[in-house]
Amino acid sequence: MTTTLRDPAVRSGLRLLGRTLLQYRRESMFSVASALLWMTVVVLTPYLTKLVIDRAIDGEKREMLLPLVGLVVAAGVLKAVGIGGRRFFAFSLSYRAETDLRNRIFEHLQRLAFSFHDRVPTGELLARSSSDLSQVRLIFAMLPISTANLVMFVVVVIVLVALDPVLGLLSALTVPALLFLANRYARRVLKVSWDVQQRLADLSNVVEEVVAGVRVVKSYGQEDQEVGRLSRAANRIFTRTMDMLRLRSIYVPLFELIPAVATVLVVLVGGRRVVEGSMTLGDFVAFTQYLVALQFPLRITGWFFAELPRAAASAARVTDLLRTAPDIRDLDGATSLPDGPGDVRLTDVSFSYPDGPPVLDGVDLHIPGGSSVALVGSTGSGKTTLAYLLPRFYDPSNGSVRIDGIDITGVLIDDLRSEVAVVFEETFLFSATIGENIAFGNPDATEEQVRLAARLAQAHEFIADLEDGYETVVGERGYSMSGGQRQRIALARAILRDPRILILDDATSSVDAITEGEIRAALEQVMEGRTTIIIAHRTSTLTLADRVILLDDGKVVASGPHEELLASVPRYREVLAESGVFPADEGAP
Amino acid sequence: MMYARFGGDNKVERPIRLLRRAGGYGKDLIGPAAGAMAATVASTVARLASPLVIRLGIDKGVIDRDLRIITNATLILIAVLVVQYVSQRVSVYSVAWVAERYLRSMRVRVFRHLISLDMGFFGRSKTGVLVARMTSDIESLTEFANQGAVSVVSSVLMVTGVTGAMLLVDVTLAFSVLALMPLLIVMSLVFRRYADRAYQAIREQIGQVLGALQEGISGVRVVQAYTQEGRQAIEFGRVNQRYFEANLSAAKAIASYFPAVDLLASLGIALILFVGGSRVLDGDMSFGSLVAFLLYLGYFFEPIVQLSNVYNLLQAALAALSKLFGILDTRTAVPEVDRPTVLAEPVCGEVNFRGVSFGYDPETSVLEDIDLAIGCGERVAVVGETGGGKSTLAKLAVRFHDPTRGSVSIDGVDLRELSFAALRRHVALVPQEGYLFGGTLRDNLAFARPDISDEEIWSVCATMGIGDWVRGLPERLDTEVRERGSRLSSGERQLVALARALIADPALIVLDEATSNLDPETEARIEAALSVLFEGRTAMVIAHRLQTARRADRVVLVDGGRIVEEGTHDDLIARDGAYARLSEVWKGTGIAS
Ligand SMILES: Nc1ncnc2c1ncn2[C@@H]1O[C@H](COP(=O)(O)OP(=O)(O)O)[C@@H](O)[C@H]1O
Ligand SMILES: Nc1ncnc2c1ncn2[C@@H]1O[C@H](COP(=O)(O)OP(=O)(O)O)[C@@H](O)[C@H]1O
Ligand SMILES: [Mg+2]
Ligand SMILES: [Mg+2]
Repeated sequence: MTTTLRDPAVRSGLRLLGRTLLQYRRESMFSVASALLWMTVVVLTPYLTKLVIDRAIDGEKREMLLPLVGLVVAAGVLKAVGIGGRRFFAFSLSYRAETDLRNRIFEHLQRLAFSFHDRVPTGELLARSSSDLSQVRLIFAMLPISTANLVMFVVVVIVLVALDPVLGLLSALTVPALLFLANRYARRVLKVSWDVQQRLADLSNVVEEVVAGVRVVKSYGQEDQEVGRLSRAANRIFTRTMDMLRLRSIYVPLFELIPAVATVLVVLVGGRRVVEGSMTLGDFVAFTQYLVALQFPLRITGWFFAELPRAAASAARVTDLLRTAPDIRDLDGATSLPDGPGDVRLTDVSFSYPDGPPVLDGVDLHIPGGSSVALVGSTGSGKTTLAYLLPRFYDPSNGSVRIDGIDITGVLIDDLRSEVAVVFEETFLFSATIGENIAFGNPDATEEQVRLAARLAQAHEFIADLEDGYETVVGERGYSMSGGQRQRIALARAILRDPRILILDDATSSVDAITEGEIRAALEQVMEGRTTIIIAHRTSTLTLADRVILLDDGKVVASGPHEELLASVPRYREVLAESGVFPADEGAP
Repeated sequence: MMYARFGGDNKVERPIRLLRRAGGYGKDLIGPAAGAMAATVASTVARLASPLVIRLGIDKGVIDRDLRIITNATLILIAVLVVQYVSQRVSVYSVAWVAERYLRSMRVRVFRHLISLDMGFFGRSKTGVLVARMTSDIESLTEFANQGAVSVVSSVLMVTGVTGAMLLVDVTLAFSVLALMPLLIVMSLVFRRYADRAYQAIREQIGQVLGALQEGISGVRVVQAYTQEGRQAIEFGRVNQRYFEANLSAAKAIASYFPAVDLLASLGIALILFVGGSRVLDGDMSFGSLVAFLLYLGYFFEPIVQLSNVYNLLQAALAALSKLFGILDTRTAVPEVDRPTVLAEPVCGEVNFRGVSFGYDPETSVLEDIDLAIGCGERVAVVGETGGGKSTLAKLAVRFHDPTRGSVSIDGVDLRELSFAALRRHVALVPQEGYLFGGTLRDNLAFARPDISDEEIWSVCATMGIGDWVRGLPERLDTEVRERGSRLSSGERQLVALARALIADPALIVLDEATSNLDPETEARIEAALSVLFEGRTAMVIAHRLQTARRADRVVLVDGGRIVEEGTHDDLIARDGAYARLSEVWKGTGIAS
């Protein structure tokens, strides 16, 4: 993929660098200006020293000594100011850019659709927003000093050419030579740098995954296996980094060697000309002095060239991410959802996940506003998938979904989702207080409202029993609560949202029976006049719904009240394991 | 323990101690490191030599108009440059090799320790923060490892050489320069105080940033469902801003320190010019000496500025090191015994809780004085209200935590007396959420026994009744399930997690609501399969289903951290107590299925 600087990804990466620089014009300018000030003083200081020696000491003018030395001190102060300014503004530029880019990545990630997050592992995204961004930042930090050096380089070359065209041009040859080398190096190292960054991301992925799933690792005592996985990842970083550093060890010393070769040529050619008498000694000495002065800036430039390709590769990885458009986004001319009872109509809806078999196959379904249906089907029959189409977490591959008569693809997503609330199968709690978790969808809710929602979800009682009540901070993934407690908080969160359409996806699966009975009573109240879709397997919950829909093989195969289906649809009995086809069921010892 | 609670404000440990310890981890790299140093010294010497040769060519050749010397000087110069190139190439490569080797071993070392820590630790720590330790912190050592060593060598080489030369030229002047050194040291110490704090804060904040990022990504579905993208971004921006500010305060420290060092160098030159100039004018010193002295002075201060740069890199590296050592110093609350007892084969998984009490934090106890014996091959159902302590009981059975009081044993051996290898081999816990790793279905199924054959996997799948489902997947066992198993439905993930446990073939299996997302049909099938697969093994099953309880040999009702009733289903029904009431509710809700 990214092997040359002309690669589109790399180009857009470089463009990103440029744009960011423009964005922080002030910092960039100040830092380059300070660097130039510093550089100028550096160039002038030897001249000042010479002045002190020639005028005051050699010229034996004692009264000149103090003022001239004062001048040296003044120059020192200026130089210090230049260094301080350069460093400070370079830092602030580079960290501002990094912080800003990270904010943009985060914002972007929040908007990328489910399908993206299904596909791209978390660790990978973490790496792009840390490891890759540090590479990008580095180049910004180096920019001012490199620019100043470049300026100085050009000035010195001009002076050299003016001093002596032949020798000047001879030493100016370093420029094309350096550019040639830098380009060659970049071409060879780009791909390698990309790989190194990718492998760092892979490692980050291993760590993220293992830490998140540490319970499984420990359950099976597979720590060694995971350490093996990590050490393979670390090894892959090592080998590829060494490939990169091998290239660097070839080229970076060359960047230093080229100017040195120029010096040799000048000494040889110039020396001869002085001996032959075609050049004055003074000119020659001045010339070599300037040449020596070139060494340092060239070293910095070489250093810059060495870092640039890696930064470009990382910038390309960042833009690669930022340029990924969300699969689900507002259409042009999307409108808000007009008021309505929450009537849902699916017409000939088919859906398949990318590179997967069809999950839904021509589903027709009408849920009148304010009514409730229960979705029943065996594991993997597509219940969750069907539910996910309503808030447009995915778009159907075929057919249409309408809410109150309006095709939801034409509705503003924020509007749509504020009217369709989902309680997910797997509970996710943020590391925040219980109160904040419940109010997640309504940050402005009053304490009363939060409590009411918690009451309806049968969560208030156990929350109130906690020492800190609603202020209790729950850990990541809500670790410190039992499964049923977490589900009730998630339920309260949805209730507080007060949506037109409420979807409960197996939302009480780990709530115990007694509590569930209590929740059910409250749910009846919540469901009053609200379109509700319940995915569940417990008969008690199913009977809450006006109607049950049996999903099988991607199709709606039956629909009607629970009792009716139970009596007339064998498949329904099977799914609910009420058919007695499993003798083991009855044969409890 | 100094770093027992990493992630908080660490006390700063003495740099020397940190460095010595960091060095200790690289003992096996001493040989290559010495080689790398030698190459670095050679390249530094060569780089310093070339200006001397040029000077020689000019002084002796050009000024004296001697073509032969010019030619010779050129030849020598070429030779020096060749040496410089070769040695520099070797130096860059070998230094990097040593550094990368070190980082690699550091990654593995920290990870190995991290993963050996107890579940309590993981409950307290954010995933993203731990990722930051393993990635950002270690990566931040690279710069120091690669640049630091090289700069130190060349700088120290130059400073000592030049100091000697200056002393030879003029002792008084040399001392007046060296008199500035205490000032430098004071400045460096002041800098350290600020930089230390700033760099610690940076490491702390990068952890927070990755923590917030990781959480933002894991919770992205909820965020979108509740249209909180904007607010999340603002909140992340705040965390990110703190990281920026930590960096900015480091930048301020740096932007004060470096100019100060540089100003000191300028003052040094001014001082020499003034003192030396006066002495020359007084006739106490020769003009030539002063010029020579000034020449050296340039070479003296440049490396000092360089060293201050390294010093800065070092501060940053120390902050990262102290975070990493913080992890390495965290002791596990569930340590492995030195000389483990060996379980007698065949292991049947008899479990015994004796007077067990436990609390996640010492003050509030979650389990109180539990006595429970589950015999060989027995299947016990644990039921009760949410929050009663069922999962906690399960976690103690697999030693995710140790009881605060009492003991848990398997086949008569206290879990604390067993090696982890033996314990994990014979005991498995299947939690509610089927956590799958990115990789193929086979990788996940064979997680506990990586070298198992496909036939065996297929046979377990067949017994569980998921063989057809697996065959229906696009690439069967080779289907990539993706991170967290995101390619499967949650019920399917539970099925895989169950199959994974059965393939692990433990003597005691603990199911913690492991079938809660399955449809009743599938669940019944699984229960039936368990009976087959668990012939002669012990099972502890937590569930909210009457069927599960009925099928069990014995039922244990847990409430408020105590066992309130215990006995067979029929006995308990007959007793007409809490369980009988629960059972009535079950029947009413249809959970009986
Ligand atoms: N993100 C996904 N990518 C690919 N396939 C998926 C994804 N989510 C679910 N599937 C597949 O789609 C089918 C239906 O899943 P789902 O709707 O979650 O079932 P359930 O009825 O259990 O809720 C399953 O076979 C599952 O493997
Ligand atoms: N990791 C933890 N840290 C602190 N408290 C916890 C943790 N896990 C569970 N608890 C608390 O312990 C009690 C028992 O929880 P648990 O054993 O999960 O209940 P059950 O499985 O019966 O629903 C609950 O009050 C819960 O809040
Ligand atoms: Mg589902
Ligand atoms: Mg539990």
